[in-house]
Amino acid sequence: MSTRRLIVEPRGLASTRLKLLVPVASVIAALIVAGIFLLLTGESPVEVYAKMLDASFGSQRGIAETMISATPLILTGVAAAIAFKMQVWNIGGEGQFLMGAIFSAGIAIWLGDGFPATVMIPAVVIAGGLGGAFWAAVSAIPRVYLGTNEIITTLMLNFIAINFVNFLIFGSSSPWRDSAVATFPTGRPIPDAARLPEFFFRLDVGIFIAIVLAIIAWYLMGKTRWGFAVRVAGDSTDTARYAGISVPRKILGVFLLSGAFAGFAGGLFVSGPVGALDPRSLILNLGFTGIIVAALARLNLIAIIPVAVLMGALNNSGPALQSIGVPTATVSMLQGAILLFAVAGEFLIENRIRRPESVTVAANPEPETA
Amino acid sequence: MSTSNGEPLAVELRNVDKAFYGVKANDNVSFELARGEVHALLGENGAGKSTLCSILAGLYRPDAGEMWFEGKPALFKTPKDALAAGVGMVYQHFRLVSNLTVAENLALGHHDQGVRLDQKELARAAEELGERYDLAVDPTARIWQLSVGEQQRVEILKLLYRDAKILILDEPTAVLTPQEGQALFKTMRQLAGEGRSIIFVSHKLDEVKQVSDRVTVLRNGKTVGGVATKDADARELARMMVGRDLELPTRSASAPPGEVMFSVSDVRVLSDRGLEAVRGVSFEVRAGEIVGIAGVSGNGQRELAQGLVGLRRLTAGRVEIDGEDVTSDTVLERIDKGLAYVPQSRLGMGLAPGLTTEENLALKAFRRPPYSRGRTLVASAFRDEGARQIEQYDIRGVRPGLPIRLLSGGNLQKALLAREVELEPKVLILRSPTRGLDVGATEAVRNQILAEGVRGTAVLLISEDLDELMALADRLLVIYEGEIVGEMQTEEATSERLGLLMAGQRVEESA
Repeated sequence: MSTRRLIVEPRGLASTRLKLLVPVASVIAALIVAGIFLLLTGESPVEVYAKMLDASFGSQRGIAETMISATPLILTGVAAAIAFKMQVWNIGGEGQFLMGAIFSAGIAIWLGDGFPATVMIPAVVIAGGLGGAFWAAVSAIPRVYLGTNEIITTLMLNFIAINFVNFLIFGSSSPWRDSAVATFPTGRPIPDAARLPEFFFRLDVGIFIAIVLAIIAWYLMGKTRWGFAVRVAGDSTDTARYAGISVPRKILGVFLLSGAFAGFAGGLFVSGPVGALDPRSLILNLGFTGIIVAALARLNLIAIIPVAVLMGALNNSGPALQSIGVPTATVSMLQGAILLFAVAGEFLIENRIRRPESVTVAANPEPETA
Repeated sequence: MSTSNGEPLAVELRNVDKAFYGVKANDNVSFELARGEVHALLGENGAGKSTLCSILAGLYRPDAGEMWFEGKPALFKTPKDALAAGVGMVYQHFRLVSNLTVAENLALGHHDQGVRLDQKELARAAEELGERYDLAVDPTARIWQLSVGEQQRVEILKLLYRDAKILILDEPTAVLTPQEGQALFKTMRQLAGEGRSIIFVSHKLDEVKQVSDRVTVLRNGKTVGGVATKDADARELARMMVGRDLELPTRSASAPPGEVMFSVSDVRVLSDRGLEAVRGVSFEVRAGEIVGIAGVSGNGQRELAQGLVGLRRLTAGRVEIDGEDVTSDTVLERIDKGLAYVPQSRLGMGLAPGLTTEENLALKAFRRPPYSRGRTLVASAFRDEGARQIEQYDIRGVRPGLPIRLLSGGNLQKALLAREVELEPKVLILRSPTRGLDVGATEAVRNQILAEGVRGTAVLLISEDLDELMALADRLLVIYEGEIVGEMQTEEATSERLGLLMAGQRVEESA
């Protein structure tokens, strides 16, 4: 009897080339699979992809729009990545993003017109972070002190936040709602001084704030004592306890920081392209997409920046597809396919698959003499 | 293939290969087991003994090679196949269901007895087998109520209940007192006398000499040789096992110990189950003294060590380091006051498995210079200090960026101990520091412990390995069910005396 099975074994240390190759290959594989679907629905994948590429990068305006879409994704990606590194499964980026948006718009409206931009912009950005951290705390505190499952609580809190935003605008006459518009409820525009200055078509300085914040997160996690302790605790809680690291405090800190980053994204989106707490412009799954960004960047806080640009380009190209009669949902399908391939690719980074060297087990019916 | 008297061999393996993660655990191994013999499999940890046994027991399938069973080619796909053919194994970690009774455990996985479980019949069978083979255990007792030695008997009874013809015992004496070990050997001889074959895995030469008929020695996954035990010379076996002549370091006449550096009085600690696992333990360790705590695993050693370092709350008692009360201090405060700890579980507690060796070497000192300046880490210190310690403590297999979990057990322990020693502690607590290490690493670790004693550290060595305790400790304490039941200078200790104490029998002290 002989067996011929492929052997799967842990790889140990994957090369940098491989770590780069696998995400790129995941994207390509996703494009191919989505292309097959497009063919089945009678579309030409080449034409669709060309249109998407053109919409995202084919013009200066397209590039500006892509970067606008990328800005919140950088921050929600960082939010997901720092939590996941610590084995804190915060999938509440969506809710924390919206809570950040509520806080940002709220402070801008509350402060009103009397303040210069040098006060207003820091205020909206910080308020966004506080809002996200507050919403994360609702999950984080019971997680740390009562051991509740944060996957469930953060997920549920997303829906509460979504409904709360809808309530503020559609269901109540809250200060966030624009009282001047009687026809269809919209968010009240925030004061101009709270708006981020635009410098390239509609692209505002939020992109730089996002990149700087991502770099700060990278520094905090990789280059500080606190970050080291977090990495130890994320790797093994028993080891952290043994080394005198307070694990509950680290979990709490990371959880709140993660929420703050999602909240920053909300704040920058409100004070950047949207300019109001407007449900239709804000509830775009930017928090959820951040999880895809983090996974595709393999939780590398710097790699998140280019990955967010890619995902931003995809998001941005959706509307353009409608002009050629292809549903916008194609973009969601592509994003889903990319995530699936990236997760599957992770297995190839961790493991190696090889053919066994010739294997025969008890194959010889005639025993040799020893 | 058959023996000289024409009877087929019970089992034969020819040219078996088995690799894990690209490392050959068994490399062209051949092995013959005759009917009615006790066959010792001798080798260091990592030599491939357990892999070979697991292949025989159907747990692993070989990558290449042949397996013959009672003269016919065979391949066991699962442990169930193997057991059906009469091959059973007692693993180092028992496969018992702790909430079930002894009798119920016997019935587990035994499907040919209908729907109804005849408890009485099972209990009767267990009792009868236990009596016949000197393996008495109460069939109605639940597994968690039994001592480790009794649980092992249940494992053997399980195999006999299935009428296994070949019994594989993987390091069975590791969890036994010397006296329990002797009882097991008697049972093994009796089983062999009935024509059953026994594979006895060990790395202890004296045991192998005492109980086995033949010895096969493995080294680095290869068979080095097989000899009849009566023709084997202990020195020669040791050389075959290790590949060179080797004397493990032992303490020399020690300098008189200094001041009391570590003082523990009437300490009480609860186990995870909430039972009192440490029941009023008191002792002192002086600077430069190595004090050993002997005991069979599970007698409160884990809870004691964790209580002393602050990982587990003391329900009563007092702990002092260099005259200072640290009873209510946190883990970190105790580290800062000079308490170092080498836990038993290296990757589970002592090291962060996913971080690099350099990062692990800084696991406790990262809060202070040179590793950090203010709140910022100094990357160059991680690199330079890491390189120095890797060199100085001979930690092998390190590559940049490589997670430490990929190092071998010996190198893990060298790194762990290096980190603790680099703290220049006043008190060093170690649990089973050489467990699972090969001889070379054992030598390095023992030397390091002895050097700490010479440096003036108060060393507390908690171990189940009597040879190690007798070789290193100045003074020995024996722990049994959470209490210190004996104390003696190492010169006065014999394994018989320690064994009796470890089994809970208070010895009459002759003055």
